Amino acid sequence: MDLIVTEHGFLVNFDDWNEVVAQELANLNSIILTPAHWEIVLFMRGYYEKFNYLPNTRIFVKAVANQFGVEKGNSRYLQNLFPESPLKYACLIAGLPKPPTCL
Amino acid sequence: MKFSLQINASPYHSAASLTAYHFAVEVLAQQHEIYRIFFYHDGIYNALKSANPPDDEISIFKNWSELALKHELDLVICISGAQRRGLTVENIASGFRLGGLGQLLESTILADRFLVFG
Amino acid sequence: MTKNFLFVLRKPSYDGIYTQEMIDIILTTAAFEQCVSVLLLDESVFHLKASQNAAKNTAMLFELLQTMDVNDIFVETESLLEHGLNVEMLTQPVQLKSRATITQFMTQFDVIFPG
Repeated sequence: MDLIVTEHGFLVNFDDWNEVVAQELANLNSIILTPAHWEIVLFMRGYYEKFNYLPNTRIFVKAVANQFGVEKGNSRYLQNLFPESPLKYACLIAGLPKPPTCL
Repeated sequence: MKFSLQINASPYHSAASLTAYHFAVEVLAQQHEIYRIFFYHDGIYNALKSANPPDDEISIFKNWSELALKHELDLVICISGAQRRGLTVENIASGFRLGGLGQLLESTILADRFLVFG
Repeated sequence: MTKNFLFVLRKPSYDGIYTQEMIDIILTTAAFEQCVSVLLLDESVFHLKASQNAAKNTAMLFELLQTMDVNDIFVETESLLEHGLNVEMLTQPVQLKSRATITQFMTQFDVIFPG
């Protein structure tokens, strides 16, 4: 599949995204998507679609907590799903632009 | 008393960062403590070390660097603000470091007085 | 430790990246479990106007504040009227404060954050 991505690997066009594209983006970053991953990815996609806002890590974790409860909205749970940077890879696989790295 | 400051203005757009500098000097002269100074919005330009003004003008980043060295100040530049504006770790003056909004929040919570300039 | 924060916004949504960077601070403050209130003065009343066509639709960002439990949005009555707006034109319910009461209102907060 030919994906148009930025130099950091983020999808250039938000609307090019679908579940197959998400799968491919995950493969490129050695992440195997489970239902737990999809839950976060789809949440972030909806969040950006609605608010047109890219959160920092602290806001992201809190947003997940407000949506799914603190057992998922904590950095250990998210780190486990998306090692290295949960915010970066949740956004990347959801087809969002690169988020800020303020935290 | 423990102070934290936030600086939002670039050195040349207004007098805000110079006022903040004079304020910081006076706070320290009066034996108070400065917990942290956080640079946000266009205030991140205070840390640009490649700034090279004429000799008869104030070099704001040198002022900050010297003050930081003398008093062991914690000068934090917002990393996302810096990234957005192209300030990288290579062109940050000595005495400054990059940090996140968590550091700003911590400084507002732990200080007795929090002042914003610009 | 929890402090009572008041963010006083004065700039309009069409003033560059400024508002978005303030929203970053407000949301981070909320994520730190602090008490957060927002007061809109002067041109910042336009943030809550429907049908904006700025680089970012800031009315959506204020809706985002609600999802982070920031529900105390105050608006100065005179600022609203001076800019030709009324509460029916806003995208969400707000609490009105008259100009004469603002100074007294501010005294209840630990940190007043100008923006």
